[in-house]
Amino acid sequence: MDTLIPEGLFYTKDHEWARVEDGKARVGITDNAQHELGDIVYVELKPAGTTVKTGDALGTVESVKAVSEVYSPVGGVVAEVNVELDGSPELVNQDCYGKGWMVVIAFEGAGPSKTAGIMDAAAYKEYLAKEAK
Amino acid sequence: MKTPLFSEHERLGARIVDFHGWDMPVWYSGIRQEHLAVRRRAGVFDVSHMGEIIVQGKNAPSFLNRMTTRNVAAMGVGTVLYTFLLNEGGGIVDDLMVSRLAGEHRYLLCVNAANREKDYAWLAANNRENATIEDASDSYAMLALQGPQACGIAEACLGFDANGLKPFHVSAWETGDFGMLLISRTGYTGAGGVEIYADPQAAVGLWRRLLDGGATPCGLGARDTLRLEMGYPLHGSDITEDTTPLEAGLDFAVDLNKGDFMGRSALLEQLRQGIGRKLSGVEITDRGVPRSGCRVFKGGRVVGAVTSGSVSPVTGYGMALAYLEPGLCEGETLEVEVRDKMLASRVKKPPFAPATIEEGEALFTHGTR
Repeated sequence: MDTLIPEGLFYTKDHEWARVEDGKARVGITDNAQHELGDIVYVELKPAGTTVKTGDALGTVESVKAVSEVYSPVGGVVAEVNVELDGSPELVNQDCYGKGWMVVIAFEGAGPSKTAGIMDAAAYKEYLAKEAK
Repeated sequence: MKTPLFSEHERLGARIVDFHGWDMPVWYSGIRQEHLAVRRRAGVFDVSHMGEIIVQGKNAPSFLNRMTTRNVAAMGVGTVLYTFLLNEGGGIVDDLMVSRLAGEHRYLLCVNAANREKDYAWLAANNRENATIEDASDSYAMLALQGPQACGIAEACLGFDANGLKPFHVSAWETGDFGMLLISRTGYTGAGGVEIYADPQAAVGLWRRLLDGGATPCGLGARDTLRLEMGYPLHGSDITEDTTPLEAGLDFAVDLNKGDFMGRSALLEQLRQGIGRKLSGVEITDRGVPRSGCRVFKGGRVVGAVTSGSVSPVTGYGMALAYLEPGLCEGETLEVEVRDKMLASRVKKPPFAPATIEEGEALFTHGTR
């Protein structure tokens, strides 16, 4: 099964993605991350209004087998939280770039495009290939 | 190490993990789907990593009676017992299934993969009776076909009347395509079905036949959630050389009246002094997943620790096995410390979910409960 890496998104080494929309960044975990975690049973996110720096924990994702932190790809304030994940954490497995999004962050400054360590789709694909070796 | 079915796991796109040195499938389609397939229909697991030790000879019954906790000498041909190897202190070296095979004094011990070499060495070192002991693990592939439809699939695929074989019985079955099989009405899921020992050369064909017959391939992930839902202990996690069967609440598999056996005097001493902790079921009523090592509290005081934890795909609740102080009652409220949070929980005698469920029957998931 090929890992989905949509163009136009920004990616982190910890396997989060960010999509810039109207000066805000919508954030989730990548297809590779959801596949590695397996069946997700619980998602816990920082509430709206929380201020985060790049690399701060946004919450935890728990699968049957493992627990994993989600780190913020960008600094700013959590503007929106996907409350759907409360009742349907499996959305992260089913549609990680769509209905399985986690938070929207009102970022400061230039946003993820200029954040250190952030990759575009091609660079992330290369990173995954290297990680697999 | 790889089982004879490794290429099948790769072909089916399984996620492979290292399990005590074995490259084993943890899941194919997903733990939840595979779990539910077993509860509703049937699943098949590659458990060829399990160890098989053959003990035989005229002194085999007396030897096994002294080395295990049940009355092996009284077993009839074609029966199976769940029992333990204990150390001198009453700690559990391993839990195992003993099958009495045809022939005069012939026993097949099915042991945990991680303990295979240790068990063999332990038996060999204590073999005062001069029984013949052979590690025959490489001569057996093993498939667990489990679920309410498992026996029907076994009959359709192998012509063997599995429903006619009583639980904890085993039968040799000659097949044209797969040679001689040993079929045992046992399992680790609670959902019913059989475990099949086969020639490693026949494993791929047998596996494919069972898949064609409608069994869902299932990995070790679902095997773990299925056994945990039933409250079955896992050696190395819930039971170890530092815990006794009495502490683990597995008294049913210990026969203190059969005569002396390894560990018996330590168990009697423990009974005299009182059991200080009991392996118990804990259900999490808050949202969250308990994990091994989480501390359990009652009114701010530590009363135990989790040894296995996960979430039930059937109920949506976190579930755990934990060693707790004795005297806590069914339903009593507790808190389980998961990372930085105290989750509301209660004592619950397993099973945590029904062993089988009807197709279409509603599940209690996070969203609906």
